[in-house]
Amino acid sequence: MGRLSDRIFGLAVILVALVYIASAMQIQASFLSDPVGSKAFPILIASVAIICAVVMILRPDEEPEWPMAWTVVSIFISIALLVGYAYTLKPLGFLIPTAIVSGALSYQINPKPRFAVAAGLGLSIGLFVLFKYVLDLGLVPFPKGWF
Amino acid sequence: MDILANLSLGFGIALSPYTLMLAVVGCFIGTIVGALPGLGPSNGVAIMIPLTFSMGLDATAALVLLTAIYYGAMYGGRISSILLNIPGDEPALMTTLDGYPMAKAGRAGDALVISGFASFVGAFLATIGLMLLAPVLSNVAYQFGPAEYFALYLLAFATLGGISSKNQAKAALASCIGLMIAMIGLDPNSGLPRLTGGNLHLYDGIDFLVAIVGLFAVSEIFFFIESHGKSSAVGVTLDKVRVPWAEIWTTRWTMLRSSLVGFIAGILPGAGASLGSFMTYMMEKSIAGDKGKFGTGVAKGVAAPEAGNNAAAGGALVPMLTLGVPGSGTTAVLLAVLVTLNITPGPTLFTDRPDVVWGLIASLLIANFVLLVMNVPMVKIFVKILTVPPALLLPGVTMVSFVGIYSLTGSYFDLLLVVAFGVLGYLLRKLDIPTVPVIMGILLGHQMEKQLRDAMVLSDGDWTYLFSSGISTGLMIAAFLGFVAPIFLRRILSRPERVAD
Amino acid sequence: MSIKFLRALSTSAILSVAASSAMAAECIAPANPGGGWDFTCRQIGKILFDIGQVDAPVQVTNLAGAGGGLAFSTVVNERNDDPDLIVAASSATTTRLAQNAYGGATADQVRFVGAIGADPGVIVVAADSPFQSLGDLVDAIKADPSSVAFAGGSAVGGFDHLKPLQVLKAGGFDDITAVKYIGVDGGADAITQTVGGFTQAMTGDMSEIVGFIPTGDIRVLAVLTEERVPGFEDIPTAIEQGFDVVAVNWRGLYVPKDISDEQFEAWGAKLAAVAESDEWKQAMADNGLAPFTKVGGDFQSWIDGVVAQTEELSREIGVIQ
Repeated sequence: MGRLSDRIFGLAVILVALVYIASAMQIQASFLSDPVGSKAFPILIASVAIICAVVMILRPDEEPEWPMAWTVVSIFISIALLVGYAYTLKPLGFLIPTAIVSGALSYQINPKPRFAVAAGLGLSIGLFVLFKYVLDLGLVPFPKGWF
Repeated sequence: MDILANLSLGFGIALSPYTLMLAVVGCFIGTIVGALPGLGPSNGVAIMIPLTFSMGLDATAALVLLTAIYYGAMYGGRISSILLNIPGDEPALMTTLDGYPMAKAGRAGDALVISGFASFVGAFLATIGLMLLAPVLSNVAYQFGPAEYFALYLLAFATLGGISSKNQAKAALASCIGLMIAMIGLDPNSGLPRLTGGNLHLYDGIDFLVAIVGLFAVSEIFFFIESHGKSSAVGVTLDKVRVPWAEIWTTRWTMLRSSLVGFIAGILPGAGASLGSFMTYMMEKSIAGDKGKFGTGVAKGVAAPEAGNNAAAGGALVPMLTLGVPGSGTTAVLLAVLVTLNITPGPTLFTDRPDVVWGLIASLLIANFVLLVMNVPMVKIFVKILTVPPALLLPGVTMVSFVGIYSLTGSYFDLLLVVAFGVLGYLLRKLDIPTVPVIMGILLGHQMEKQLRDAMVLSDGDWTYLFSSGISTGLMIAAFLGFVAPIFLRRILSRPERVAD
Repeated sequence: MSIKFLRALSTSAILSVAASSAMAAECIAPANPGGGWDFTCRQIGKILFDIGQVDAPVQVTNLAGAGGGLAFSTVVNERNDDPDLIVAASSATTTRLAQNAYGGATADQVRFVGAIGADPGVIVVAADSPFQSLGDLVDAIKADPSSVAFAGGSAVGGFDHLKPLQVLKAGGFDDITAVKYIGVDGGADAITQTVGGFTQAMTGDMSEIVGFIPTGDIRVLAVLTEERVPGFEDIPTAIEQGFDVVAVNWRGLYVPKDISDEQFEAWGAKLAAVAESDEWKQAMADNGLAPFTKVGGDFQSWIDGVVAQTEELSREIGVIQ
């Protein structure tokens, strides 16, 4: 049985929507409630989402072309890199995380090590100059206490 | 309504040397962003919004800059369509049908100039149409109460999928995802948090800029990792660029017809630029008949969709400005710009903030002229942009997106959300679920719920109030038809596929 | 990123506003540029320098977040003894403090130093409305609370919502939770809804309705000030119609708690000087503000009263428990 993607996604949507409805049920009712209240609309929307998901499960489209296993791995690596970037941008300053992450992303797209290193360094320094001195954004270059 | 007086007010605002410079800079940046393969007006403007706000421009200046970028990106989109056969966004798809064959036949320069001129005609006529029509439409403001607005939002969501989506269930699901996200945060009526899971970062809700940047810009990097940056670019070279006046003259009626049809398509909620370029191309193709040789690289085949899609972009501004309902993905992004600037589009915008409306209209006209002047002599510069390798471009775009969001909100949590939306965007696009309704849901969700709740306050909970006026009933019926009709129409209207190499 | 792109962006260097230099006084506007608090900071800051009350131009900092709550907690926690700091405030500040919308912060954690202008509250109906006076409207609500719905520019429980409730209480109607109110997007929208007949009355600020008065679409039933507003002498006050209510959206400042009394009084005097200046009078006229000057200890005690009253009303309608 093919066309699994739509079915799996539909199932995931149903689960999320059920959790959503459950937490909407918990919404604290306000004293000053209007006739509709805080719960009705979220529950309504989640229910429509479930209907759509059921249609997706019953009548799935053609299977999309998913990437090969090793490409999936490199997509996961880049997600991890971007998450790491979100956490390190503030404590480590702009230059170091940007150089590492943009270099690594460049390597993921086109595995040429030299080009990736150059891209990382160039983007990190170039963008810093652009943001800091041209656009006047308050970026910190290095971790606190380095200079 | 004295249009000339209003227009001079608008030009008074938009023609200062400072804003004029912003328009030029915006057009230049926009054309570059639009020309970059894989980046269209929506994600181009999405990346630029946070940066613009970080620069601390005032409302008019920011609006001029961003609309110039938006229009520039619309122009720029045709460059990668014609030279690389890669449409920057969906409306540009039709331009590849004749543009790429023209380029392969060694007439890339002609194709670029003709399409640039057609874009200008379409956008210019649409702006004039907007000027004439919008004030008339805004007079219906007094007819719109909560029930009517609710019906209007319903119509916008129901027609979003339109004929551009293959599966109505998926389009509707996308709207629901956006609406569900919009509900997170403080309840506007009771002021109590809901659906935040107790996470303090979610109390203020999820910023639509975060969603736009994630869904449109960051998801792109995953696609490039998947394809390893292999672009199907066939090195089409560009020799001389001259203006083929005679050929442009032969397309004059095509341009005028396409502008009109495109403009009307743009006004329809949810239809937007894709429908505009699709309808105009099909119309001109059938008018020309077999002798027209559409699809083999003819001038009319380039002029029609470009005039149509730019006119539709202008037309889409009519419902966006007068009713606060965006007609397309790109106007949704522009709506986000206005909302962030604390300007609420709607029927009262024309009386409240004539400076904004007419300043915007004037800056659109200015941007058009600037782009026309810029695009013919400078087209070679923009073409060079196409040679930037994706392994440099995409990491750069990603970093710019992150820093833009970070400098706007200063929160690592928002950066995590950007990544999450990037992943979501990748999955949705893989499964052929449109992402624009998600954005629209986040953008309009609060309003839609509020109008429903207000309507029920006014009627003491009587549901029939939603159908109590002719307007609301009519809009509800239109919403139903708009949702159901494409399911049947799709079988009749099959869209032409992109030409293969 | 190509060199050209960098070059293009670098052109926009000219756009970027020059960075700040060392300055004496700082005014925090707890919102993004363009709003009322930003206006307060920029106007007062400019006039303070123009009339020589401060030696250097006042630096304006925009610190938006949590409806002013972020600025409030920053001042309380980090700048509590900074004598060179002023913060823009308005009725919204005290309403939110009274309704505990600043995460536990209370009005006594800062000192309210003065207000030098106010946007008077108004109650408006459509020109074809059967209500000719505030009394007519109150009587109709007393007879059937669901017959009248109000539209206003603030959320439920906000200042625009509280105004008609205060009037109704003053008129002897106590079942205020039965009063219908919808919060729309700004005063102009509220008027549109009222003129369109979807709501029966509009509650808002004077500045929101001045543009509509010449159109003849609306009738102003009452202005919620002590005396009739200069320039609008034909609009009666609520007080003269027998409803003892004053509700104005004042524009003013608060300062950190731990500055000395001398420093507090000095800011009060500086504000009073601004209020007297022609420049401020012009700014008020341009922005639909009415004169309303209260400074120093006088203002602080008035604020205490307003906060207590708002708290009581909010408790009654259930916005706070």
